[in-house]
Amino acid sequence: MLELKDVHTYYGNIHALKGISLNVEKGEIVTLIGSNGAGKSTTLRTIQGINRPRSGTILLEGEELEKLPPHEIAIRGVAQSPEGRMIFPRMTVMENLEMGAYARKDKTGMSDDLERVFKLFPRLKERIGQKGGTLSGGEQQMLAMGRALMARPRILLLDEPSMGLSPILVELIFEIIQTINKEGTTILLVEQNALMALSIANRGYVIQTGEIVLSDTAPRLKENEMVRKSYLGIE
Amino acid sequence: MQRNIRSGVTFGIIAGFMTFIFGGWSVAIIGVLYGVGLGLSLGGRLKREAPLGMASQALPTAASAGGVLLVMSLIQNYIVAPAIGQFPADPSVVIPANLAGVLGGFIFTLITVALHGLPEKQERMGKLILLAVIVVAFPFVDTFARLNWLAQFIFALIFVILGMGLNIVVGYAGLLDLGYAAFFAIGAYTTGIFSSPQHNIYLNFWLVIWIAAAMAATFGLILGAPTLPLRGDYLAIVTLGFGEIIPVVFRNLTDVTIQDPLTCWIIPGITRLFGGQSGMACITLLSHMDVTAGERGINPIGRPYLPIIGMFTNAQPIPWYFLIIAIILLTIFLVNRLRASRLGRAWMAIREDQLAASQMGIDPVRTKLLAFAMGATFSGFAGAFYAAYISGIFPDVFDFSASILILCTVILGGMGNIYGVIVGGLVLLTADRLFLPALKDFLSGLLNHTVLPALASNPTLRAAVAQNANPILYRYLLFGLTLVIMMAVRPEGLIPSAQRRMELHEADEVPNAAASTSMKS
Repeated sequence: MLELKDVHTYYGNIHALKGISLNVEKGEIVTLIGSNGAGKSTTLRTIQGINRPRSGTILLEGEELEKLPPHEIAIRGVAQSPEGRMIFPRMTVMENLEMGAYARKDKTGMSDDLERVFKLFPRLKERIGQKGGTLSGGEQQMLAMGRALMARPRILLLDEPSMGLSPILVELIFEIIQTINKEGTTILLVEQNALMALSIANRGYVIQTGEIVLSDTAPRLKENEMVRKSYLGIE
Repeated sequence: MQRNIRSGVTFGIIAGFMTFIFGGWSVAIIGVLYGVGLGLSLGGRLKREAPLGMASQALPTAASAGGVLLVMSLIQNYIVAPAIGQFPADPSVVIPANLAGVLGGFIFTLITVALHGLPEKQERMGKLILLAVIVVAFPFVDTFARLNWLAQFIFALIFVILGMGLNIVVGYAGLLDLGYAAFFAIGAYTTGIFSSPQHNIYLNFWLVIWIAAAMAATFGLILGAPTLPLRGDYLAIVTLGFGEIIPVVFRNLTDVTIQDPLTCWIIPGITRLFGGQSGMACITLLSHMDVTAGERGINPIGRPYLPIIGMFTNAQPIPWYFLIIAIILLTIFLVNRLRASRLGRAWMAIREDQLAASQMGIDPVRTKLLAFAMGATFSGFAGAFYAAYISGIFPDVFDFSASILILCTVILGGMGNIYGVIVGGLVLLTADRLFLPALKDFLSGLLNHTVLPALASNPTLRAAVAQNANPILYRYLLFGLTLVIMMAVRPEGLIPSAQRRMELHEADEVPNAAASTSMKS
């Protein structure tokens, strides 16, 4: 469904992505794990069109994305729950969710989707009239994910959904990610919390200083010695 | 209860001072206006009950306000007016005017308060009807009472439209535009060019106003395009530049010659290159055309005509008044529709977070350009009306201070809230056009009869005092002061939008406030 072929991205002179190739099949959860500064977020930003690759191709079901501006990529069904959430702080929860559905052409299914989001995140329903900026970190994460789901995306990019959340909330969020996936949304999950990510993903890629160093099914990665040492903290 | 009486007395004193300055029949209009104002501020505070009960609750307040105004208007008539050299009060004016003012204030306070006792829907309806009555009655009262406020008040209404237009750009889309008067100028000059002896084109006003709006919108797109990659301060600086360029262009478009480049330069150039002589005549498209008449301005400009009413004239401001009210109503309607539309939501999203907005599938380029174009459209209407109303246009009307004045109305009223902007425009511009001149007359009258005679022995000092006692000289100082005080005391404006208030008082908000409390907003 989503395929990156030898993608190189630069920040000025800094070679951030040194030829990333990865693919996500329909219905999968694929995780991209790596340490700080390895290029995880840059990969997502490149898919989103916020950073432009200097070379390489990004294909969404065969269509090239790498030359499109961000809003065109969003319209084609790539939604993301960004790092730092980037919700609209001065809009209410409801208005945020409505913004999520902005690009959709069919407005008919909107109330169904709203119901679905509220079923996944009952907390959001309680906070429906509250301004996004006054929500707690966990609620903002839920709102960012809910907003992304409102677009009824073909593929959902999740950037560090566990960041800054309490362990209980992390578990809840990961459960919800699985539910979303079971309901038919393809997911590319970027995480520092490798253990959690690998326990729900089908496959995974390990990224190190802008390069994919390892890729395998999630259970096998979990057993991999290098991964255990570097990312799972198990000797 | 005491607090209500106190606010009644305050309103009475303010209204009283207004009558000191405006004098004559003004007390009638001032009375009604303070009555409505007092009623609105009181109505929200009093215990809610049936309309009659509300009115009886407000009785002591209304009576105290009326009493204060009565005393002060008598002081005006018998002490202040003679002191500033007006004719001694004529009972045939004093009695009906004071009666109208005091009773009008009293009655309108009670009516406005009573409206608050109605069910919500009827309450809103009642307030609208009250407003409509005042708006419709105002010019007739003005004429009847020979106040002659209308001609100046119409300028305030022009700025209300400009404020609403700028509010789209600044308030909704969050793009700080410091050169908005440029679009006003384009609207006015379009009207001037298409409806004056300058080019012997006399298009009908009802057509020209649309052309002016379209032209302003087009220039909104053209001038908006280069600012798109810019944000914040840089955007403001570029718009400032445009605001300066446009009046200069209009000032200098007095000798325009356009020649066809092909026949005048390219073909002769090539033939000369080969040593030949071009026999081809140079085609001149425009020869020394005076497009805008420079400093002299375009004058006279065609005016609207309606059956029954006939041609609109200087002497008769009432048709102009209702025309601009109609344009304002149209603007309010359109702006409200825009705000609620997809585009309006895209503006809000862009204002909040451009990157996040683009990830929702919003095209930032298109959204921002449309904000500039839509904002400019309304200044095109205002420009066309302005040009026709004063029947002449001159380049220095549209300079930087005009842009700043429009921006001030938006900030003063409350960015992002169309009704706030209307109030801001009315307050600032009536202060500028009506209050300051009246204050000037009041002061010079007062000085002429008190201080100046005493200074007769020192002519230089006398002249200096007489010259500087003119508040109009200090208008920008006073605007500046108003803005500084506003920003310190109430940065969200007189009637803020919910989102702006939130933005400016973020620190006061309790994070995670229970959902139930915020549901109300």
